[in-house]
Amino acid sequence: MRTRRTALAGIALAAVASLTLAACSSGGDDEGSESTDAVITAYATEPQNPLVTTNTNEVGGGNIIDLLYAGLISYKADGSQENEVAESIESEDSKVWTVKLKDWKFSDGTPVTAESFVKAWSFGADPDNKQLQSYFYYPIEGTDDEGSTLKGADTISGLKVVDDKTFTITLKQPESDFPLRLGYSAYYPLPESAYGDINKFGEKPVGNGPYVLEKWDHNVEAVMTPNAEYDGVRKAKNGGVTFKFYTDPDSAFSDVQGGNLDVLDQVPPSALTTFRDDDSVQDFESPGSVNSTITIPESLDHFAGEEGNLRRQAISRAIDRKTITEKIFDGTRSPSTDFSAPVMPGYTEDIPGNEVLEFDADAAKKLWDDANAIAPWSGKFQVAYNGDGPGNKEWVEAVVNQLNNNLPGINAAPKAFPTFDELRTKVTDRSIGTAFRTGWQPDYPSIYNYLGPIFGTGAGSNDGDYSNKEFDGLLKKASGALDDEERYQAFVDAQAILFKELPAIPLWNTNVSGAAGKDVENVVFNWQNRPEYQDITKK
Amino acid sequence: MAWYIIRRILQAVPVVLGATLLIYALVFLRPGDPIVALFGDKPVSEAVRAQIEAQYNFDKPFLVQWLLFLKGALTLDLGLSFSGQPVIDLIARAFPVTIKLAFMALVIESVLGIAAGFYAGIKRGKLFDSTMLVVSLLVIAVPIFVFGFLMQLVFGVKLAWAPVTVGGDASFTRLLIPAFVLGLVSFAYVLRLTRTSMIENLTADHVRTARAKGLTDGQVNRRHVLRNSLIPVVTYLGADLGTLMAGAIVTEGIFNVPGVGNLAWRAIQQGETPTIVSVVTVMVLIYVVMSLLVDLLYAWLDPRIRYA
Repeated sequence: MRTRRTALAGIALAAVASLTLAACSSGGDDEGSESTDAVITAYATEPQNPLVTTNTNEVGGGNIIDLLYAGLISYKADGSQENEVAESIESEDSKVWTVKLKDWKFSDGTPVTAESFVKAWSFGADPDNKQLQSYFYYPIEGTDDEGSTLKGADTISGLKVVDDKTFTITLKQPESDFPLRLGYSAYYPLPESAYGDINKFGEKPVGNGPYVLEKWDHNVEAVMTPNAEYDGVRKAKNGGVTFKFYTDPDSAFSDVQGGNLDVLDQVPPSALTTFRDDDSVQDFESPGSVNSTITIPESLDHFAGEEGNLRRQAISRAIDRKTITEKIFDGTRSPSTDFSAPVMPGYTEDIPGNEVLEFDADAAKKLWDDANAIAPWSGKFQVAYNGDGPGNKEWVEAVVNQLNNNLPGINAAPKAFPTFDELRTKVTDRSIGTAFRTGWQPDYPSIYNYLGPIFGTGAGSNDGDYSNKEFDGLLKKASGALDDEERYQAFVDAQAILFKELPAIPLWNTNVSGAAGKDVENVVFNWQNRPEYQDITKK
Repeated sequence: MAWYIIRRILQAVPVVLGATLLIYALVFLRPGDPIVALFGDKPVSEAVRAQIEAQYNFDKPFLVQWLLFLKGALTLDLGLSFSGQPVIDLIARAFPVTIKLAFMALVIESVLGIAAGFYAGIKRGKLFDSTMLVVSLLVIAVPIFVFGFLMQLVFGVKLAWAPVTVGGDASFTRLLIPAFVLGLVSFAYVLRLTRTSMIENLTADHVRTARAKGLTDGQVNRRHVLRNSLIPVVTYLGADLGTLMAGAIVTEGIFNVPGVGNLAWRAIQQGETPTIVSVVTVMVLIYVVMSLLVDLLYAWLDPRIRYA
């Protein structure tokens, strides 16, 4: 017995030693792939839902879905649109749209027909199917405010199939830039095979886009190869894309440094100060579309009417955005100049009233005093945030400090919620009772998307219950505008109203900060802050 | 012996029941709403919410949720994750990886720890002993993720001797550095336990007797001192396997190992009750089995211990 034990230890020791040696010799890794056939590996997170177009509302699954499917239109990197599956999308009154389709096939060989779209959207909107993207159908006739089909109906009544290659979309109200929405994943088509067992389909979806899904190895990776059938505008220029799933972007960044990962679209906070000077990676930075704001509901004490407007302006002018973006975010945020983002078509810096976004302690104090003349300030000013978002605690504390320094007596304080959903629950049921952090990531490239859903009276994401008839009128005008110039002017006028009343205080936009391996080429970040994966190649 | 094992297994039943109830209560009491989290910043349709609540039994009272889970667990139906896969499949994929990682860590820490502790105990107060004491102090004092990132940077990124992260291919060679990092803290404890225990036994009566019999130093140290010194170490190692699997959350995150730690982390973030409770239940089972194995090992190591 004794000898056996000693021998076991010896074997184990020898095994460990040999493993160490093996690890040493197997270093260096499988480099050396060249030309356009190279497969690109990219950072991603495990999809949280089955890979179904109508049920994928987060980035992990969205990255994959966007490569597997082609919509009626697709967005170019700068946010402009071009037709993809659609031959034409036309309307005379901006209310009833007629869509004509090109000849197109799913990767299983079945044709993409008008039915492929109409049935998919109706499926997504039917509450019985509990699809997470149902909200996106709300502009269409036959759905409620949350985009669900009306009671008793299992199809959206505003969608009509004319023939195999034609269908019509009837909207609740005219919307001249409605086609812009149609590149979003909720509007992708689904093949007939999807409806049998949708969860099973979501394991191995069949699409009509630039790539086909070879393998979804849960919590490990999703392997995609180019779709030979695809003949659209986003043709794959590489030999495939493999999304590797991480729980920790830090380890993904290490992988880029070590040459094990080609593209990382979100540099972790720990590397933000160093990644620009890091010789082992290429660094990418550009303005992004995500914005951060503080919403101060009118229902809070002292924030209604004229007094409230003055106080919100005072708070806005008391925040030194430039210092915070530099000191806390290492320049990875840019101070806001409007309610949208610089990458949006129609963006301008010349909006009347946007000087309230500039830091001016004296002006802030004066505005605050003016408000106190109407009714003296009492109580605390709290800013609620979710602690699970990186950097939230730091910037909220910085903002609160600046408010306390520049607006004597405001008594500002941060209010932490542990998780995002906890904060959102309080915000949604209106029980929060404080100011709170908000942010927006656009669903399609239009300034309208930053205004309508957030500040329109009764709109779905109007967390502060803002309501202004004049503003609503301008939104309607923008929706009905027939040319871009008229529409952009309406956005400027609408934002001028927002700058007076500041239902939310714009803070900054998140810049894209990405990293790529040394041998990777053609990395372009689009208006959604994501790389155009199909264009990436290797040297 | 058989009766003893049966009794221990029967004792495990209330332990497992209690543990799942506790975890269920904790997840239930977790503030916030997983369904709101599912929808992000988009409004939730009441009709859709009702459907999802019904699917995950969120609409039922707490105890009913728990009983339904138990009923499912008995038939190995642990429910579906939010992404529509059976939780049992997720577990079946993740546990082998983590068990492999934990066993590798266990082997590394016990072999290195016992060897170093053995030698340090014999050479008490000498250079090797002092060095090991400083090293173990350092390992215990510095948080594990520091070593993780350090080893990743040095061996993975700079020297390129080992893969930076593990990813899909969880082979032995790729898991070596994560296993080393995982076992590092326990290595320090094993070393100190073995050393102290050795020093104690070196002056014991039976050792003096063995020397008086004329056995060589090496024989005495191996057969009489080490063997007796291993009892506390084995206790520690047995309990440690459970700790290693739970501690793998940090290591698996750093090295991107698709194991239980990563699975649990994701599930907790999303409030995915079926996955969290199932993972923890399996961990409790492993703890129970391991502590039973340890108790049985005592009898083999020390003939004075008998079970009836």
